[in-house]
Amino acid sequence: MRILNQIIAVCSINLKSLPERFWLSFSTVMAVAMVVTVLLSFLALAAGFKRTLDGTGSEGIAIMLRDGSQQEVNSVIALDQLRLIGEAPGIVRKDDGNPLVSGELYVIVDGVRRSTGLKANLPLRGIGKDGAALRDGLTITQGRMFEPGSNEIVVGEGLIREFAGFDLGSEVRLGTGTWKVVGVFSMNGAVFESELWGDATVVQSLFRRGSAFQTVRVRLQTPESIDLLRDYVANEPRLKLEVFSEKGYFAGQSSNTVNLIKTAGWPLAIAMALGALAGALNTMYSSVASRSREIATLRCLGFGGFPSFVATLLESLVLAGIGGVIGSLGIFLFFDGFSTSTLGQGFTQIVFTVTLTPALVQQGIILALIVGLIGGFFPALRAARVPIVTAYSQG
Amino acid sequence: MTDFSLILANLFSRKLRAILMLVAIFFAFLIFGVLAGVQNGFNNIGGAAGENRLVTINKINFTQPLPISYVERVRATEGVARASYANWFGGYFQEGKNQIVTFAIDPESYLDIYATDYKLTPEERAAFLADRSSVLIGRKLAERWGWKLGDRIPLSSNIFTNKNTGKQTWELTVAGIMQPAQENADTSVAFFHHSNFNESVTFGRDTAGWIIIETADKKLNTDVSKRIDAMFANSAAETATDTEKAFNQAFVGQLGNITLIVTLVVGAAFATILMIVGNTMVMAVRERTKEIGVMKTLGFPSGRIFKMVLGESLLLSLLGGLPALGTAAVLLELMRAAVGIPGLALTLNYAVLGVAIMLALGLLTGIIPAWNALRLNIVTALGRQ
Repeated sequence: MRILNQIIAVCSINLKSLPERFWLSFSTVMAVAMVVTVLLSFLALAAGFKRTLDGTGSEGIAIMLRDGSQQEVNSVIALDQLRLIGEAPGIVRKDDGNPLVSGELYVIVDGVRRSTGLKANLPLRGIGKDGAALRDGLTITQGRMFEPGSNEIVVGEGLIREFAGFDLGSEVRLGTGTWKVVGVFSMNGAVFESELWGDATVVQSLFRRGSAFQTVRVRLQTPESIDLLRDYVANEPRLKLEVFSEKGYFAGQSSNTVNLIKTAGWPLAIAMALGALAGALNTMYSSVASRSREIATLRCLGFGGFPSFVATLLESLVLAGIGGVIGSLGIFLFFDGFSTSTLGQGFTQIVFTVTLTPALVQQGIILALIVGLIGGFFPALRAARVPIVTAYSQG
Repeated sequence: MTDFSLILANLFSRKLRAILMLVAIFFAFLIFGVLAGVQNGFNNIGGAAGENRLVTINKINFTQPLPISYVERVRATEGVARASYANWFGGYFQEGKNQIVTFAIDPESYLDIYATDYKLTPEERAAFLADRSSVLIGRKLAERWGWKLGDRIPLSSNIFTNKNTGKQTWELTVAGIMQPAQENADTSVAFFHHSNFNESVTFGRDTAGWIIIETADKKLNTDVSKRIDAMFANSAAETATDTEKAFNQAFVGQLGNITLIVTLVVGAAFATILMIVGNTMVMAVRERTKEIGVMKTLGFPSGRIFKMVLGESLLLSLLGGLPALGTAAVLLELMRAAVGIPGLALTLNYAVLGVAIMLALGLLTGIIPAWNALRLNIVTALGRQ
């Protein structure tokens, strides 16, 4: 009990005297805050990108690409293959007995980024008349859906946010044709929000793609019926296709970019943390040195070395903790919800929102506390061990 | 005792503190050096591009092909010295993850234009031109996969299907290994005959992915590109012509604003280090108040003391920063070998900038304590506890 009282007493003396060492402590706090800011900005970018791709797709929808093509942009599917897929088991049929299937075409067009005015690749997707019915969570937020057979397009919300010239009612020149924007759609932040959609047959003719498609999309009766579909495709020699669940397909696309962002972020944060650690150690050593008489006096009065140790360590942890909180707050205030885009694996832009999750803040604070712990430990040891006589003899 | 040894003695009067500050500065400049090198790498994508080289692509987007008949019309355009064309093959070796940048090229004209980038022996060149089923591979590819002259290698495409076999693989014979003719040339590429490609694909025949042009003079670049784009305006495939460097950099631009992130991170790291070091310097000089008072009593002029304190912070900055730049150069060298971005290096201009920042850091952190030391009154100095 006595030692606990001592710890509390010494700690409160230390923490109350913090303002006296304001500038010294302030530099440590800011150093740690910077480390946390850098780390979190990278992790939040990665998390936002991942959330967009993970939030895309449902288990109830299957996508088929030509075998080996991996990306929509590389895939080719002929019209007769589309018809064969329509006969597959396990897929949902409409009331008239026809299959719910959409052959889709994916062409890359140029867009101009609002922020920089630079060109970027945007995907223009030609969708079949059942295309909209095969998109879960789709809502038209402004205007209406395009009329089949016309030069009309609808635009994703994310795309409008990042790229200029696609506002409702405007006319845009894509490829050899002019298109009119008649609607804006939202899909809960999914990848599709970075796309332009038009009628598949119009896209085929204006981009001279004949009757070819790139992907085929069907609704499955149950998520498990994907196996029936896979068996059917495997046993039909005219179909050299690969079958993915929509969710699986998009989840597979996120890993490379996310890893890239994370592998850039962590080493940077660690290098900075080592720099900040040096700063924290300096601060704490100086703090101990400036109070060596004070500590010695306490020891003369009968306080043990251990309370001094705990108090110094606590001071360091508190400073680092404050730094961590400031860093996280900074990211939250200035960066969270920030919309940006990068090149996805299909050679086109994917718009996403920087997302600071509680789990990330936790990682940031933990890093801050590690810096505080190491930065405080050795100076704390010195505080506990400094011989009373030496402390007094020092100038 | 010279001034320098005094400065050194002052700096290391508290060894631990000096070492910790050196470590902080070291990491700041290490981050600076590596990021500057990476930045340089991205800026130099397309750095190997000749100044009088233009690229013509389909105006819709580079993924849309151009009719091959355009090439002759481009060649006949005023101001065009040479023109060639190529297609993107989407190549990989055995597995999708082993991507190999492969172009189907018009052999003679393409090799002529890129003679400034790739070196071949006359025998290798002749062998490649003579055999339509042969392939040229870059030195880096040859090293990575252990391919030698005469090897038959299967290159697969994730876009095209080979009509003759019904598979997506083309069997090609290695006719030559391309050596880099200049430092920035990327030798992780493979070239094979466009005629072989054209005859065996199931779709996309008689098209060129892009046309590469060498103008008679780089001053003609703008005129030539306008002339070409005007020639194909309102045709089935309109074109967009730009310099090769601009074309290559457009790819990098698509990754998002890397420059901004790098600048912010380096800026943040610097502000932090500046604060830490500045603070510690002020403290260190304050602790030595008495010493400085004694020195003044002994007759050291104030100016000399000012210089010594400033010298101390400059020395600290350089001692921490210079090894960091050296380490960054080594790290970049290792990264370049691993990643294969040719421009990944600490170039002279960034190294000079780094040293300039070190000097600025030293001056900024030293100026306040040095000023304090300059104005210090002997009586106060000796009286202070």
